[in-house]
Amino acid sequence: MSPEPSAPARSTRAREFRRILAEMLKIDRVRGGLVVAADGLVIAASLPRGVAMEPLAALAATLGRELEVGGDRLKRTAFQAALFSADNGTVFLGSSPVGFVVVLGDREVNVGLVQWQLRKALATLEGAWGTTVQVPARPEDM
Amino acid sequence: MDLLKFLGRIWDAVTSLTRPPNAATLFRRADLYRQEGRFEEAADLVAQGMRISPNNGVGHLLSAYLHLAFRQIDPAKSEFHSVLRLDPYHPRALLGLAKIALEERDLVACRPYLDKALQYYPDFPEARALQEMVVGWSANAVPAAGAPTFMGPALQIEKLRPPASGREFVLTQTDGTLVFSQHGDKDAEDLAAHVTQVYRIASATLQRAGLGQLRRGIVQAATETSFYRSNDRLVLAMTFPHDVKIGFGQLETDKLWTNSLRELGVRA
Repeated sequence: MSPEPSAPARSTRAREFRRILAEMLKIDRVRGGLVVAADGLVIAASLPRGVAMEPLAALAATLGRELEVGGDRLKRTAFQAALFSADNGTVFLGSSPVGFVVVLGDREVNVGLVQWQLRKALATLEGAWGTTVQVPARPEDM
Repeated sequence: MDLLKFLGRIWDAVTSLTRPPNAATLFRRADLYRQEGRFEEAADLVAQGMRISPNNGVGHLLSAYLHLAFRQIDPAKSEFHSVLRLDPYHPRALLGLAKIALEERDLVACRPYLDKALQYYPDFPEARALQEMVVGWSANAVPAAGAPTFMGPALQIEKLRPPASGREFVLTQTDGTLVFSQHGDKDAEDLAAHVTQVYRIASATLQRAGLGQLRRGIVQAATETSFYRSNDRLVLAMTFPHDVKIGFGQLETDKLWTNSLRELGVRA
């Protein structure tokens, strides 16, 4: 059913997800975020008041899957990260073996900084699965 | 009598430490692991539980979820169907199948699953969110066979020329109608379908987050980066090699967007 587990410290994953989310929430103008599995299960979440968790998680997981599956259909390489901006803010989405990391920023959020931090977070998650991902040293290098 | 009961409890507690766990215990533990993202351990426990109790709905449901977590779609679908054979109105199994149908862009299959899930559980928030999203899609008439056709006049290609490094340039209406693409072939229709789907789901996600209507998007993959621009009628997407500078990609996408709007505006 599953690929061979390769992570040395799987029992700490839940803590790692919460830590990653907490780091993202420290960024100025970031209003919330969640870690959601590909099936829509919320693993960790912190959302602004008035934003319901389950519907957002279901939509974010659906979006992540479309980016994975649709890209695959078009013979593109694996989707890594995305951002979608509206008049009042931006949704950032990163793909990882556990599912998707979602970050909500308001309209003044530093997009480059969040993208860089998200890449770092995703690399940490990849590391928890036993693979290594290179992340630029600074946001400007992305 | 009380002493006997007390001793009985102690005996149960002691023997439970040495007794192999039953299926329910295994599934409960598997679910806890799943919620912590420990999918491999959860899958092992589910497999053990299913050996003890092969027709257990909870086991089949957990198994479906874990297959989805590992992106194993066909086995997940089969497990969701196993749940429905035991409980035809199981809302989580119906939602799971609706999501898979959505991934497969099979709206005809997706809607009944969501309707059925909400029939007995109208307050099911995930199913409600997806239903509200796809209901909007049905408002746009899509012909039963093939992609919808753009009814406007042909655009002047020379005014919509992407930069040398740009590729897979496509302009669609928000209902999926292909307006213009760099290559007028079947691939262009597939690309338009993907771009439309991303636009629709991203829009729904932004609106659920209270952020408004989708305007821009950037999707980064291992070897390419795609840029999106949109309003409530049109979606434009263009792809560059992965090493493109974000500023350059946005600038070039903006140029094409402005030219596209001008072209359509002049001809409207």
